[in-house]
Parts: sequence; C-alpha cells; structure tokens
Amino acid sequence: MNLDEAIRLRDPAQLPSRRDEDWRWTDLRGLLRTIPEPSSPLGPQAIGVGPFEGLAAESLVVANGSGPETLRVAPGETRTVILRHVSRGDGAHSARLRIEVGGGARLTLLESHEGGGSSLSLLGVDLTLEDGASCERLVLADLDPEAVAVVELDVELSAGGRYAQTVLTTGARRQRFETRLRHPGLRSEARLDGVYILAGRKHADLTSVVRHTGPDGRTDQLTRGFADGQSRAVFQGRITVQEGADGVDARMAHNALILSDRAEVDARPELEIYADDVACAHGATVGALDDDVLFYMRQRGLAETDARALLAVSFLGEVIERIDFAAGAERVRSWLLARIGAGV
Amino acid sequence: MPAVKDTLEQVAGLEKYEHGFVTEVEQEFAPRGLDRDTVAFISRKKDEPDWMLAWRLEAFERWSAMESPDWARVSFPPIDYQDATYYAAPKAKDGPASLDDVDPEILKTYEKLGIPLREQEVLAGVTGAPRYAVDAVFDSVSVVTTFKKELAEAGVIFCSMSEAVREHPELVRKYLGSVVPVTDNFFACLNSAVFSDGSFVYVPPGVRCPMELSTYFRINAAGSGQFERTLIIADKGSFVSYLEGCTAPMRDENQLHAAVVELVALEDAEIKYSTVQNWYPGDPETGKGGIYNFVTKRADCRGDRSRVSWTQVETGSAITWKYPSCVLRGRESVGEFYSIAITNGRQQADTGTKMIHLGEGTRSRIISKGISAGRSSNTYRGLVSAHPKARGARNFTQCDSLLIGKSCAAHTVPYIEARNGACTFEHEATTTRLSEDQLFYARQRGLSEEEAVQLLVNGFVREVLQELPMEFAVEAQKLVAISLEGSVG
Repeated sequence: MNLDEAIRLRDPAQLPSRRDEDWRWTDLRGLLRTIPEPSSPLGPQAIGVGPFEGLAAESLVVANGSGPETLRVAPGETRTVILRHVSRGDGAHSARLRIEVGGGARLTLLESHEGGGSSLSLLGVDLTLEDGASCERLVLADLDPEAVAVVELDVELSAGGRYAQTVLTTGARRQRFETRLRHPGLRSEARLDGVYILAGRKHADLTSVVRHTGPDGRTDQLTRGFADGQSRAVFQGRITVQEGADGVDARMAHNALILSDRAEVDARPELEIYADDVACAHGATVGALDDDVLFYMRQRGLAETDARALLAVSFLGEVIERIDFAAGAERVRSWLLARIGAGV
Repeated sequence: MPAVKDTLEQVAGLEKYEHGFVTEVEQEFAPRGLDRDTVAFISRKKDEPDWMLAWRLEAFERWSAMESPDWARVSFPPIDYQDATYYAAPKAKDGPASLDDVDPEILKTYEKLGIPLREQEVLAGVTGAPRYAVDAVFDSVSVVTTFKKELAEAGVIFCSMSEAVREHPELVRKYLGSVVPVTDNFFACLNSAVFSDGSFVYVPPGVRCPMELSTYFRINAAGSGQFERTLIIADKGSFVSYLEGCTAPMRDENQLHAAVVELVALEDAEIKYSTVQNWYPGDPETGKGGIYNFVTKRADCRGDRSRVSWTQVETGSAITWKYPSCVLRGRESVGEFYSIAITNGRQQADTGTKMIHLGEGTRSRIISKGISAGRSSNTYRGLVSAHPKARGARNFTQCDSLLIGKSCAAHTVPYIEARNGACTFEHEATTTRLSEDQLFYARQRGLSEEEAVQLLVNGFVREVLQELPMEFAVEAQKLVAISLEGSVG
C-alpha cells in the first residue's frame, strides 16, 4: 500500500483499502477502479486567489502537482508563509515538499487546499523543527465534491520546540489529512486541532499519530465537527508513549454532532502506552444538537436556522480560540461562518 | 474494610498460582492431530446424532480454509494444530450417573479448588444462604451437574452440552450457531468442529431461575486443549445468573482454550453472565507455558427490553483474546460490560467488548479497568456502533488503565461508529500510574508498599467488583491481590 506509487505507476492495487486497518473508513481502492491520467500543468490564470490572500508577503503554490520542493527558515528568523495546494481538472498528481525550520526560528504556515475538480491528489510535507523552533500551521480545505485528496504531514519536533496545527475542512468525495508527529519530549509541545463541516455526500478523515519518544512532552488535541446530509466524518488519533518517555502529558478530545439520519461519524481515539509515569486521557462524544437548547433559543425569537448556526459557531468556536496567530484566526473565523451559514 | 483485610491475609500465605496442580487420573484421549477422523471420533464419543456430526464436519472444512487472525496486539509463535489432542476425558463406565460414580481423584480436585459438587454440602450452610448449581467440566467432558432435579421442577434445563444435543435437539438445533455463526472467526470455527463440553441452559418463559448456575472449567491433561461450547437461552420474561470459573495446571507448554459462548435473551428476559478467569498464566520470569485463551462470547438481545450483562475478571492466561459482545436487536434492549483485566509477568491480554446497537432506544454501558504490571501488555479493544435504525441509542464507555512498573504496557483501542442522527455516545479513557501521593498517604498510615498497592488497586476496580454476585466478588478480590504478587519493588 503506497499512494504515491499508486499515482506514479497508475497502479490501483497500491491504493489503501478497507483491509488496511488504518484506512478502514477511508477506502480508496474500493472507490477508484483506475488511476486517472497525470494532471496537466496549470497556467497562472487558473490558479486564482487563495483564502489567506493578504496575510503574508510570501506565497508558495503547488498547482496540479508542480511547485517548489523546499522551504528553509533560517535559525532565529520569524516568517509567515502562504502555501496553496491547487488542483484542477480530472487527472492525478502528487507532490512532496520539505520544510526546515532552523533553531529558535518561528514559522507560521497558512495552507489552503483549493479546487479539486474530480482529481486524485496527494501532497506530502516533511517538516523538521530544530531545537527551540516552532511552527503554527493553519489549514483551510474547501474542495469540490468529486475530488479525492490526501495530505500527509510528517513532523520532526525537537527539544524545547512547539508545533501547533488547526485543520479546517469541508471534505471531498474522499479526503484525508494525516499528521504523523515524532515528539521527543524535552519540554516540547504539540497541539493538533481540527474542525470538519460536512454536508451532501462529502467525506473527511482527520488522522493523527503522535509518537512520544522522550520524557516530559505535552500533546493536546481537540477536534470538533458536524456531519449533515449523507456525509461521513472520520477521526483517528493515536498517541504512543515509548518506554522511558516518562512525564508525558497527553490529552485528546473528539466531539461530533450528527445533524442527519443518514450521516455517519466514525472515531478511533487510541492510546498506546509503554511508560508508567504518564498522564494520558482521551474523550470522544457523538450526539445530536440539543433540542432543549434549540427550543429555548426559538422561544427567545430566533429563527431555527439562526439558532442552529449560533450553536454550531459556539461549538466549533472553541477550536478557533486556540489559534495563536490572531490575524489568521480572524480569517479562519469568517471562513467558518460563511460555511456554517450554508451548511447548517 | 473487612474485604481488604481479607485480601491482605490471603496474600500473606500464598503460592504464586495455587491451582497449578495436576490430578492423576486415568484418561482416554483422541489420537494426536486434527482431521475429519478426529472430528468424527469426538462426535462418536459423545454419541451424537448425524446432524451434529454433519455440522461439525462442515465447520472443519470451512476452518481448514481459514487463516489465524493477526490483528490483536498479542504475539505468539504459530500454533501447530496437528500437535495437540482434541479430546481428553477421564475413563468412566458409560458416563457417571451419580456423584458416587465419579473418580474420587476428580472429586478431590474440585474439593481442592473449592467447588461444591455435593448438594448437601451446599445446603449445610445457614438456611437461606445463597446456593448455586454447578456443572463441572474436566478437560473435554462434563463430570457432574448438580441440582438438576430441583432446577427441572422450576422448568429450567441445566445440563452439559453433550446431554443437550441428545435430550433437547430441537432447542440446540434452533439456537446453536445462531449468535456466533460457524465461520464467525478462526477460533470459533475451530470450536464448532471440535467442541467438547460446556453448559446448556434453557430458562422457560416467566421463570426466574431459583439459584445461581455455574460452570467450572478445568484443563488437566497435558498436550490437550479445551474447546467448550456454552449456550444459554432465556425465554420471554425470564431471568438467569450464570457464573464461570476456570483453572489449569502449571505446565511448560502452551495449551489452547478456544471456547464459544452464545447467549440468547428473548423479550423482557435478562441474563447476567459473570466470569472469573484464572487459567495458568505461564511462568512470570520466563514467560514459559500458560493457556492461550482465545474465546468468542456473544449475546443476542433478540427480544424487546431484553438485557444482558457481562462481568469479567481476567487474571489468568498467558494470552487472552476475548471480546464478550452484545447485539442489541430488540427495542430498548440493554447491554452491559464490566471488566477487570489484570496482567502481570509476561502475560498479554487483548480484551474488550462490542456493543452493536440495531434496535431503537437501545442502551449500553462499558466499564473497563485494565491493570498492567511486570512485563505484561494489556489492551482494551472495543466497538460501539449504532445502525441507522437504532434511533435514540445511548452508550457510555469508561476505560481506565493503571500501570505498575516501568516495563509494562497499556493500550486503548476503541472504535466508535455512529450512523444516525439521534444517538448519543460518550467515551472516556485514562491511563495513569498509581498516585504517589495516595501511596505515600497509605504507607504513612503503616501499610507496607505491597499492602498499599493492593488497597489502591481495590479502589480502582471497585465499580466492577460491585457487579459480581456475592460469592464471586470475594473470590475475585482475592484474585486481584494474587495476580499482582511480586509487581512491587
């Protein structure tokens, strides 16, 4: 099973399927009988403007699989970079990007996934943070309903560093964000948050694997979302604490609302612990909007759609409040409001 | 806290595994290996009708084409299924008719294990003391079932599976394999082909079973496995509480125990199924020997408002692979799972439950307490799912893991699948070690470190112990203490 090879060799047998335990709820082999032709390159006019426009001077664009392959932030430097991943048409493409953040440097990465058509795409990112380096990643993904997209991120965190991400998505035909983080501990911290708003027949899978390899690390995860129509939301989170990684404090929460009888939410929050001096916990809830609260708000004169939107905003808002980059959080909030208005 | 005091006293004079003795008794065996002839041999020994043999043989064919599952978080060398004996029974003259015909060595075994096989012994207590009927299974056969007459007066059928196949074929044919299909999984399929004995219970409509029923499983013979099959049917509006205990001698070889337990609860019926599993866990230092406990247990809440509760205390076995489940089919049916799983030494446990909500308004509750010590590994694996028709389904799950020592492991792998807009699932899990502060406090009060650990552990598992029937709760509490022997310091 190797998605990159599946695309390069156009071999559907390499696609992950429901028989692969980690992909049981995001079956690609059952969905795609053949791999589409490679995508053709995109001209600048087809790329347009992204959702983070104006928040940073520097912008990287990966369009239909082509774009820059490396980004290096020098030690001590502070930078904000926009990364746009744009897919158009009905082809298949994959790209890999390497990001290095030098010692003590700070990177704010504003990432967007746009378009999609009916393409199959893979974006792989390798992110290395040297000692004391930090990175905050904000992701907005709003793809066409026929797109199939996978984004894989491998993070190498170092001592005293910090990695934080907030992924917001409206899903696709099949979509997966997989974050794998190697957490060395040593006073380093990680925050992995997510929001999904799914309607129609869309699907979104937020998967994370955090491997604590050293002592005194912190991980905090909060994912919230709702599924309407015939959509399907998948949350998989695994926290591993290796032998010797004492003093780890890891928390994970996933809260989902199902708004329709034909929507589905699947969750698997895992803990894998090989050290005894740890405090690890996870919580997962799935439920419907509270009828009593809705009733109360309607009694106060709010229209039902407004009441539902208000509840949704307060439910998802807690994730947005955890974003450090204030201008980014503002942009994310209005992005979210525009979609909740349409989605709830 | 008399129970805690009792535990401490118990631990003081303990061997490491007190049930590890072997009973010298003349036995007969099936020839080593597994093929169609072995299956036919077992069926013949049990004097089974043709339909039963055909059922077994079909299962054997299906099993031959299956592969051993590898998804559980346990590791063991491949099992050579040809290098074992699939039938071992004490030699007897046409099966014991009464207790007097049973080999005295076997009676002594049960006496040593503290299992009352003589009805009068049970009655000898104070009037009104709780009584329980016992089906004693020794390797592949049931040696005796007590209180059958009194139970029969209430209409309750309680006998060994072999007897049920002969005496109540209509019930067996109707329900056997209806909860756990023959090809459900590798080990259930193997069991369907070679199952030996186990208990059969039928409680007629509206009857509250007058006493606790229990089965005591004992593996004695070397080089053999135990493949019991238990079937419990609670007809409309009935109630039954069933207890299961198990032990085995200490041996250097690994022995396979692949059981299938099927429960059927019809309308308004309730089944309470409790297990205290204390198979030989293997040598704590070398990991040699011990039982492979690969068990399929499932309850079908077929009727509306039916209720099944699984309570398990898992302390033994080298490897445990077991997920007692509830299929909540009837409207407003209820499934419960309470579990304590303790691993020490080099034990491995991958255990949990499945709550499958199919009917409207179904509810389930899962409380799992895992404790790992030594170099052991303890995994909770569970599934809670609500199907589109299960509107109003509710689940609450709590899994807590406690780690004692630097080299043990605890894992939590819950699967949650919600497929309608009117279900409420809540899941919470924690993994911690024993609190230093609490230990310090207990030690300050004069308890030794070992005593302090036991006190805290007893508190940790209390919610589950409360669900056990009285007699079992005491035994289970002692077991918790024994299992943690040597885990401190």
